Amino acid sequence: MADFTAAVYQNEFLPDGGTDVNAIVTVTCTGAGTAGQSGGGSAGEIIIVDTSGSMGPQTMAAAKQAAQAAIAEIVDGTWFAVVAGSDRAMLAYPQVSSGPGMVQADARTRQEATAAVGRFVGSGGTAISTWLDLAGTLFASVPEVTQRHAILLTDGENREQPGSLDSAIRRATGVFQCDCRGAGTDWQVEEIRRIAQALLGSVDIIPEPSQMQAQFQDMMRSSMARGVADAQLRVWTPQGAQVLFVRQVSPTVEDLTDRRVEVNPLTGAYPTGAWADEARDYHVAVRVAAKAIGQEQLAARVQLALGENVVTQALVKATWSNNSELTTRIDQQVAHYTGQTELASMIQEGLAAKAAGDEATATTKLGRAVQLAAETGNDEATSKLKKVVDITDEREGTVRLKAGIAKADEMALDTASTKTTRIKK
Amino acid sequence: MTDAPTCPNCGSATPEGTLFCENCGFSLGAPPTGETPLPVSLQGGVAPDASTPIDDVAPISAATHATGGTPPAPAASGRIPCRTCGGEVGPDGYCGQCGTKAPTERDHFREAPAAWVAGVCDRGIRHSRNEDAMALLASPTPGERAVLLVMDGVSNTDDSHIASLAGARAAIEVLRTPLPRGMGTPDSRIAAVTKVFADAVSAANDAVVATAPAGTPTPPSATFVCVVVEGSTLSFANVGDSRAYWLPDGAPGVQLSVDDSVAQQLIAAGTPRHQAETSAQAHAITKWLGRDARDIAPRVGTLDVSGPGWVLVCSDGLWNYASEPEALAEQVRASGATDPAALALALTDWANAQGGIDNITATLARLDGPVAGQDVVTAAQSVSDPNAETAAYPVVPQEETHG
Repeated sequence: MADFTAAVYQNEFLPDGGTDVNAIVTVTCTGAGTAGQSGGGSAGEIIIVDTSGSMGPQTMAAAKQAAQAAIAEIVDGTWFAVVAGSDRAMLAYPQVSSGPGMVQADARTRQEATAAVGRFVGSGGTAISTWLDLAGTLFASVPEVTQRHAILLTDGENREQPGSLDSAIRRATGVFQCDCRGAGTDWQVEEIRRIAQALLGSVDIIPEPSQMQAQFQDMMRSSMARGVADAQLRVWTPQGAQVLFVRQVSPTVEDLTDRRVEVNPLTGAYPTGAWADEARDYHVAVRVAAKAIGQEQLAARVQLALGENVVTQALVKATWSNNSELTTRIDQQVAHYTGQTELASMIQEGLAAKAAGDEATATTKLGRAVQLAAETGNDEATSKLKKVVDITDEREGTVRLKAGIAKADEMALDTASTKTTRIKK
Repeated sequence: MTDAPTCPNCGSATPEGTLFCENCGFSLGAPPTGETPLPVSLQGGVAPDASTPIDDVAPISAATHATGGTPPAPAASGRIPCRTCGGEVGPDGYCGQCGTKAPTERDHFREAPAAWVAGVCDRGIRHSRNEDAMALLASPTPGERAVLLVMDGVSNTDDSHIASLAGARAAIEVLRTPLPRGMGTPDSRIAAVTKVFADAVSAANDAVVATAPAGTPTPPSATFVCVVVEGSTLSFANVGDSRAYWLPDGAPGVQLSVDDSVAQQLIAAGTPRHQAETSAQAHAITKWLGRDARDIAPRVGTLDVSGPGWVLVCSDGLWNYASEPEALAEQVRASGATDPAALALALTDWANAQGGIDNITATLARLDGPVAGQDVVTAAQSVSDPNAETAAYPVVPQEETHG
């Protein structure tokens, strides 16, 4: 029994001639229950493990343990499958060649899957597009599975024709969600992040094989707690208005602007995936035609919809005022998340510049990141930044690039760049 | 509802028994259909403890509009279509096309007690709430008996939107019964009418005073204007600068009421009307109702009319844009309206189109009286001499703030 609520944080007052309205909408879900138990269809889980030749014995052993730990977390009745990925994708469990490519979890199937994972041997290359495509095919083979989630582990760079991966990502988008993890430091953060972002999942680095099991357990537990299969964020704007952007800003920054699907000419829907008991924040910016001083109008209705059923709504307003005390204030939440969004791009752009050998740009951008992390109280970002730069002045954003940075630290900073914080009371 | 009641429109606390939200002016009289925010339940089961924190961290700023749960169910509404684009107004009170906020019941209301009497009371554009109020009575028979009463809450005082409405409703109760005829002489009749109007103003004053507790630094205050139509006789009374006009068809109109304002004093002293009414102090009134009022005796007068025409009782939100009777008559003609409800709306829309800098109230009675003859002002008198009165206390005019 899931309850959704929404709250708006904004300064609705615009100066004379003002057009741009910014608001943070917090959507909170409680009572989500367990995946697949809501009566709206079954849940499906696919565990995709890199079994290419690059997986060293230690990593492979850890990956097996991790996949087995994840299997142990799958709730009875959930449909699941295990895929072994190299330069092609193999259905490791269930071992069938036709019909439904997934089975329902119970003590026996979990045990069989665990045994199948134990037989993994590393060989071959890395063609992630084939892994995603097989997962899509497997989900499609069991139509009653409506909540589709995959966990993907890789340790290396994708070795395919340019474009193959992007087409596979496009095919998978909207079909299933995917949390991605990279083992070691030989994989590309940007590449894996592209998968995770499109498939509404998380991305992280697992630098040490010993950390793998706990991460897999966590991912599967979190997925099993998502009792609400799929939800859309809907944004209505008045005729003539323009949606400047729609971003999820907490728990991570994800730009949803381009993922709009038209519901009707005034309303767009943006995917949010499955929900557990959680709160997410969205930053919505809308440009409306200016009205006379004293006029009030609705700039946006921000709704959460399950199917066609709108379960909560928040109103974003605009009121034109000539009281500059009212119009010049910036809402704390809006300011906070605007800073956090810039922080994410500064980290990513700074690291990209560093990788390209442009140390001056890298220093400037990472310096700005340090400043923003301090201003917005993102301690996690600050501590990760400190492993990459030496901070001379936090408030001014003056930094120097550290010599001999550990690759894992740089990747950890990169993967965590989109994580945002809320400010404590 | 175990907690203190809150306004369904803005969420502020609303003490039991209040008619309108003190924060936003939303009508609390009847619960709005389906507006109560309720969390939605998706599947059967036990509701979780609503107080269970989801996050150990809190939002950094207070929610400006918390809307829990389900949006109100779409009701087959009798809502007035959007006044901006004609679109359908949503259950959340905003137009589904252009997003314009539909006025609340307090911000825009219309009354038409009979086919020949109607009024519109509107927030205007610049003010954040509607502090004007009106109350109307009319017999079903055209031209028989009607009461048109307008009060304008002074905008730099607290809760004047509550006070003005309470005042208007209290005063009109006093005027339900026909005015006395006196001993038969004009003088005795006007004395008797003056007494009734004084009682009505006193009832309005008591209601205004009762709105705020003693010791409020800026207690609510309001103007008062009223016309009682009884056949061909118009009896009128006013305190402050809301006005009554008689606008006969095809003949020059006349302003019945005389403002208690600095502008009026300037006019009396010879300043041209336009200059007086646009001076800095033009809207400073010298008499008002309220806890800090010193003299609430109305100016009273009667007028016997003969031909067809309009009785117009209005607030300064209208006459700001057409002060002279002829200017108002021009707008009446321009509207082309023959029905008082349509005309009241047309005049309100026109004032809004001029800028709507103040709340606008226009109430009208259509008289299709007997033809021929000349309008005769039987008497027009003030109970207290306005000059003596302004000299009697140091000028601390109430200034209405606009915008």
